[in-house]
Amino acid sequence: MKKSILLVAMMFFPAITLMSCATTGDLEKMQAQQKLIDAKADQALRDAQAAKAAADAAKLNADAAAARADAATKEAEAREKIADEKAKKADAVFQRSMRK
Amino acid sequence: MRRIVAPSLLPQWFRLIALWLFIVALQGCAAVKAPQEDSWLAPDHMEKEIERNRFPVAKGDDVIGRLAVVRLEKGDTLPDIARHFGLGLNAVSAANPGVDVWAPEAGVRTMLPLSFILPNAPRKGIVVNLATMRLFQYRGDGTSPVVVTYPVGVGTRERPTPQGPMRVERKAARPTWHVPASIAADHRKKGDILPAAVPPGPQNPLGEYALYLSKSGYLIHGTNKPASIGLKATNGCMRLYPENIKTLFSDTPVSTPVVIVNQPYLLGQRNGVLYLEAHTPQEDSGAAELQKIYEKLKTIEKKSARPLDWEKIKKVQAEARGIPVPIFEMSPGSEEGIPKLVEVEHPAKLYGKPEPPELNMAAWYVLAADVPDEIDARRMAAIINHQGPPIPAQVIPKSNSYRVIAGPFNTAGEAREATRRLKLDLDMDGIVIEPVRKM
Repeated sequence: MKKSILLVAMMFFPAITLMSCATTGDLEKMQAQQKLIDAKADQALRDAQAAKAAADAAKLNADAAAARADAATKEAEAREKIADEKAKKADAVFQRSMRK
Repeated sequence: MRRIVAPSLLPQWFRLIALWLFIVALQGCAAVKAPQEDSWLAPDHMEKEIERNRFPVAKGDDVIGRLAVVRLEKGDTLPDIARHFGLGLNAVSAANPGVDVWAPEAGVRTMLPLSFILPNAPRKGIVVNLATMRLFQYRGDGTSPVVVTYPVGVGTRERPTPQGPMRVERKAARPTWHVPASIAADHRKKGDILPAAVPPGPQNPLGEYALYLSKSGYLIHGTNKPASIGLKATNGCMRLYPENIKTLFSDTPVSTPVVIVNQPYLLGQRNGVLYLEAHTPQEDSGAAELQKIYEKLKTIEKKSARPLDWEKIKKVQAEARGIPVPIFEMSPGSEEGIPKLVEVEHPAKLYGKPEPPELNMAAWYVLAADVPDEIDARRMAAIINHQGPPIPAQVIPKSNSYRVIAGPFNTAGEAREATRRLKLDLDMDGIVIEPVRKM
């Protein structure tokens, strides 16, 4: 019985040793990968921040452009309105002048 | 698998393509249909002249004349176009919404509403429709009736032209204007003292001819302010262009019946097509008149047992462009009889258009305005030019403004009188300019 147990133990020992060796290598590999990913993540974060900053700046620009366009439209409408009012006023004055 | 999927997907794709084609085809139909609705408003051909005042009336027809367009040239104004083509300013303005009356863009095609639906009144003597500001004179014998039509200026809201039947009581060439007390009082308020009577001449607002109506105090007469034709500017009389009153005066015997109506909505037919002509109603008359027309239209719809295009009818009424619009074929296929729009050549000179005289260094002038905007300056100059009696005016561009100069005047007195009129009539503060060189 003892012999059998010893034999089984002897058979398991190298296998267990080999397994632990594989785990260490894997761990190192994984750590290296993690570092790489971490670095990538840092880069991605920086990129995302840069993109967000650019998007924010673009939005600000777009908002400013939209505001300028709105202002220009309003100005044009106001000018048109003034021109219309001037024309109507002139017509009214003319019509009064046509009375006897 | 493929064998199973392919046959089931293929019809789906076909169905999608077929649906897409169907939608595209529908859109195509809509795109074609839209211009077709107003296709009768596309100019058909060019003519040198077009009839303006005298039209034959076919038996059973209520619509006369043809619609036309003319391309504006630099310096044209709508009052000039209106006068040349025998139209009132109201008619040309309504038919061309959005076009500047005094400074329109050159090259723009302007509608000449030279087609009219005859008013719903007995076809004899003279009929005046206040809403359309147009006078119709029925002439000719029973077999070949003719209608002669002229634009008119009518009474203001405060002093409207009376309606109803009357007749021509007497006629006078070169009439004297006996100034009514109400008008004298109006002028006195502005600091303008009028004489009791104004003799014939350029200052006389009656012009060269007058028909005195049986309704006391009301006349059909000429004018010294031709640009007022098509405006509500009189004290109840009806005024015509000088060239029109001359013809009407010679064609109208004493005792001619005169009927004055107010019909902003007119229905009539020609060649089996029903037309609707809508004008902006005079004060307070719109709703009742519209009700009458709607009742007539409902009767027509009931009799024909075919639906009318009520959306189109409402559109014509809302736009109030004052042109007869075909709204219904009384008999199928009669749309062939709708006359096409004509493009008329712009004449070398528009009749009655004031021409700015050349600058004269020895003459007196009046500086009427100095404005930064060219359009404003052109508009002011045109308005001054169209006063009655006329005051010549032109625009002189400067480096940063535009000056409106009235003149030339022979004397300081003439220049001062022009300044007085500019202030009284147009509320402009003119400055008299001495001659550069003494004569």
